[in-house]
Amino acid sequence: MSVVNDWFSLFIQVLDKLPITLFMLLISLVCSLVLGVAIAIIRIKRFKVLYQIATFYLSFCRSTPLLVQLFLVYFGLPQLLLAFQIDINSMDRMIFVLISLSLHNAAYLSEVVRSAYLAVGEDQFEAAYSVGMTYTQALWRVVLPQAFVLSLPNLGNNIIELLKDTSLAFTIGIIDIMGQVRIILGNNHGIGMFEIYVVISLIYWGTCILIEMVISTLEKVLKKGKISLSKL
Amino acid sequence: MILLKHIHKKFKNNHVLKGIDLEVSKGDVVTIIGPSGSGKTTLLRCVNYLEKPDEGTISIHDLTIQTKKPVKKDILQLRRRTAMVFQHYNLFENKTVLENVTEGLIVAQKKSKKIAREIGIDILTKVGLADKINAYPQQLSGGQKQRVGIARALALNPDVILFDEPTSALDPEMVGEVLEIIREIASGGVTMMIVTHEIDFAREVSNRVVFMDDGQIIEQGSPDDILIHPKQERTRKFLKRIMKEPDFTI
Ligand SMILES: Nc1ncnc2c1ncn2[C@@H]1O[C@H](COP(=O)(O)OP(=O)(O)OP(=O)(O)O)[C@@H](O)[C@H]1O
Ligand SMILES: [Mg+2]
Repeated sequence: MSVVNDWFSLFIQVLDKLPITLFMLLISLVCSLVLGVAIAIIRIKRFKVLYQIATFYLSFCRSTPLLVQLFLVYFGLPQLLLAFQIDINSMDRMIFVLISLSLHNAAYLSEVVRSAYLAVGEDQFEAAYSVGMTYTQALWRVVLPQAFVLSLPNLGNNIIELLKDTSLAFTIGIIDIMGQVRIILGNNHGIGMFEIYVVISLIYWGTCILIEMVISTLEKVLKKGKISLSKL
Repeated sequence: MILLKHIHKKFKNNHVLKGIDLEVSKGDVVTIIGPSGSGKTTLLRCVNYLEKPDEGTISIHDLTIQTKKPVKKDILQLRRRTAMVFQHYNLFENKTVLENVTEGLIVAQKKSKKIAREIGIDILTKVGLADKINAYPQQLSGGQKQRVGIARALALNPDVILFDEPTSALDPEMVGEVLEIIREIASGGVTMMIVTHEIDFAREVSNRVVFMDDGQIIEQGSPDDILIHPKQERTRKFLKRIMKEPDFTI
């Protein structure tokens, strides 16, 4: 086999598992976005008990490594649920990855959402109330759409972090692109280490560039209302 | 139709409204004047509960809110019967001019999109913005923004429109166009409460003038009674000062 062919086949082999990586990214992004908005609102509105819980949760998530959190969920959750007579030992490992990535990322996203929400300004709420909207209507129709646009740069960074976080899933046996790299290395008895890590770097890098392109396109399209921080 | 009884409002230790009683009948155009910090804005914001009064009752037709124990549903009702034009416009920044006007109709009043659109275009035409319906707020001049603000309030067909210094954030050359539109809707029989520093405008547009100072209504009456022949010393002083200011249109 020629050298070029070698590189090419490595590339194809790793790329083959990209859908798994993107699947983890997408599902945990959506879950953490929902949870992140909820946490942000709890913290902004200072709902009594929930506020304490949310603050505690944020502190924990930001102060322990994701890898530790992943193991905590992977080993801890089945035991916890077993206490309630629920057996999830047979469950797909993917579930544990999705849960821990979502929980972890929600902590960071909630801060992204919170600062964007606060940047929109009380005057938009007041305008919405003055035409007879409820808080929920004002939130979804007026404030969050604007907060979303304002948050896009930070959201983009967060998604890229999340993409890189998915590379820990192999530690509990998920075969994503990282898992695939480990398998290939195992089969080759450790030969070609350098090449394969070049390949996977390029794949992560390329994916990031794609994400950045999507975000900046979104920004351009959604900025049509020309919402900017300058008006504040 | 609108009845405010014994309204009190404090910000921390700052007693801003000290027992306001005010009645506004259907079709009334009431202007509220008074020195800066006297509580005019706060009073207006209490009427649609953007500010929560500490004491007193607010009635509008058959709806009465005891501010000591307000019911959430009633506050929403109150807001749906009133509309407000803000000093700084407060347009929905992420929506077009037309959407700014139709949003409340669709979301709060549950009108169909088609009907809301018809109402919106009709009213925007009235305020001279027919060619701007697809523009975004940031593409408009101050005067145009405020005309959208007025159109948004008017479209809701509320029992009363609350104006908080609608022209004071405008460049002088745009004040006229906005006052003209307010004049027009006043003559159309819409009930209005207007906080303003434009004494001439107050005189010609309103059928009642309320003078406030230090959180209280000092006197009220016809424009001539208050603006030409005030009875209270404080009113006289205020008018004298404001008339003397070289540029009292601000
Ligand atoms: N959100 C707030 N928090 C604390 N204090 C406030 C708040 N809003 C108003 N105040 C205070 O209440 C008092 C009355 O303010 P208000 O804005 O009602 O006066 P105003 O008559 O509208 O004055 P202006 O003519 O300058 O607009 C002022 O002392 C102001 O500092
Ligand atoms: Mg004011």
